[in-house]
Amino acid sequence: MPSTTVVLAISVGYLVACLALGMWPSKKSSASSEGFVAGDRGLGLLLMYFITGATIFSAFAFLGAPGWAYSKGAAGFYILGYGALGLVPFYFIGPRASRVGREYGFVTQAQMMSVRFDMPAIAGMMAIVSIVAFVPYLALQMQGAGYVVETMTNGDVPAWSGALVVYVVVTAYVLKSGVLGVGWTNTFQGIFMMALAWGLGLYLPHELYGGIDELFARIAAERPDHLLAPGKTSAGQPWSWSEYSSAVIISIVGFSMWPHLFMKSFTAKSEETIRRTVLLYPTFQIFLVPLFIIGFCGVFFEPPPARADQILPHILMNTQIPSVIVGLFCAGALAASMSSGDAMAHAAASIAVRDGVVEAAKKKLEPNAERRWIRIVVVLVMIAAYGVAIVYKGSLVFLLLTTYGAVVQFAPGVLACLYLPRVRGRSVLAGMIAGSAVTGVFVAFPEWRPFAIHAGAYGLVVNVVVLALVNLGATARDEARRFVEIAARE
Amino acid sequence: MTLRNVLYAAFCLVCLLALTWPGYPMFGNRIDPRVLGLPFSLFWNVLWILLSFAAIGAYHATRPRR
Repeated sequence: MPSTTVVLAISVGYLVACLALGMWPSKKSSASSEGFVAGDRGLGLLLMYFITGATIFSAFAFLGAPGWAYSKGAAGFYILGYGALGLVPFYFIGPRASRVGREYGFVTQAQMMSVRFDMPAIAGMMAIVSIVAFVPYLALQMQGAGYVVETMTNGDVPAWSGALVVYVVVTAYVLKSGVLGVGWTNTFQGIFMMALAWGLGLYLPHELYGGIDELFARIAAERPDHLLAPGKTSAGQPWSWSEYSSAVIISIVGFSMWPHLFMKSFTAKSEETIRRTVLLYPTFQIFLVPLFIIGFCGVFFEPPPARADQILPHILMNTQIPSVIVGLFCAGALAASMSSGDAMAHAAASIAVRDGVVEAAKKKLEPNAERRWIRIVVVLVMIAAYGVAIVYKGSLVFLLLTTYGAVVQFAPGVLACLYLPRVRGRSVLAGMIAGSAVTGVFVAFPEWRPFAIHAGAYGLVVNVVVLALVNLGATARDEARRFVEIAARE
Repeated sequence: MTLRNVLYAAFCLVCLLALTWPGYPMFGNRIDPRVLGLPFSLFWNVLWILLSFAAIGAYHATRPRR
């Protein structure tokens, strides 16, 4: 058993380092909401790379990915599959969004849509969907952090208090430094996570099986099905190729639509920075490989864990390895949780105030008042998510999947916004509502689907058809034409 | 559409088909040969991430400059 003192000392040291790093950059951004939300549009490649990479790699990567490899076998490879092209759409739409952002002063995705379509209701709807999606997502990050702390300290620190301490730190640096605080801590956390994932991914198979080669040779000999796609579903049933393939495609479409990622096109210093961020992203993606390897290490591990997503901490707690490594892992898992949680809380609050209050409800706020309100909402979002994390006993993943289904439905509207001046706001709104409704129904009742493909695929088709039908005969307004010309301006 | 765009779009299509049905089950979904100890089914995904990295790198490097 690892020593609780050592594990706690390393974790607390790590939290202090993050806090120091997150508090420090606040001098550099302006006092306006543009400074707090979009870093005065001045983020360079290093920060952009880590802000996107570390934001995407959440507690799910550290706990969920090994859990999938352990319990569902090759089903998890679909995450690698969509990662190969996942950020590619952003190479094209990111620079376009950045140009109109600079011209009109946008800091969020919904704000951009609202102005282009001259329809505050779109901003309102997107704000609601985003926040409803972020709260369970953030709650999952908190549960992950709390759970890791509790396991790694042999229950000496209960999950609720572990999550509380970790997220007080996150709240502090998000409040103090806004997006720059998120950027600098994510850079540190990203490097830390990658080093740790590779370290453990190479060390554990060596320690338990004598090497990666021996590990997979044994699985190939005894459980060959486990290494072949499409693997199994959560229920342990075989997954189908149609579902695997459509999950890859829907994830590629939806990936760039996440508001906390999309709005980073307004933080980048230049279009070139956005393109290079996309270019380098696969280097981050490869870091899932060691996490899958760790999951596969669990296949023959005795005794098995109580739940699949406990496999990584379970192995660490039941193997003779130095306490320092366990402590580092604990800090790494916190890094994964924090580096996604901070971006979500920051984005949720920016969207709530910017889009919900300023755009949709047409309330004018002074720049300083807006920044103050965003800070207040950061705290409210954190409290709401913490409440959900502690109290809600249902499946957060299910809640998240449902809302992610609605986020994917932003895609046709965002593309129309930046490429097609003829498309009107009411068409986009109608498509978005119809698509989200269809996806929601099929997520809740998968057995109603006519074919076994991803629920979001049905929603997207309905979305595009409704958008096209409602838009029949519409002509481009002059402002819309000008907007798309600015977006296309090289 | 310039040749550069056509080529990159073609790559994306091939990549997508290689990572889903039918390319993945036809060519990638097997255990042997193992590469660096990894089953081929896992290596196949890594390979396409690297190819995608190379493709967008080439696409980016050849962009028209003004």
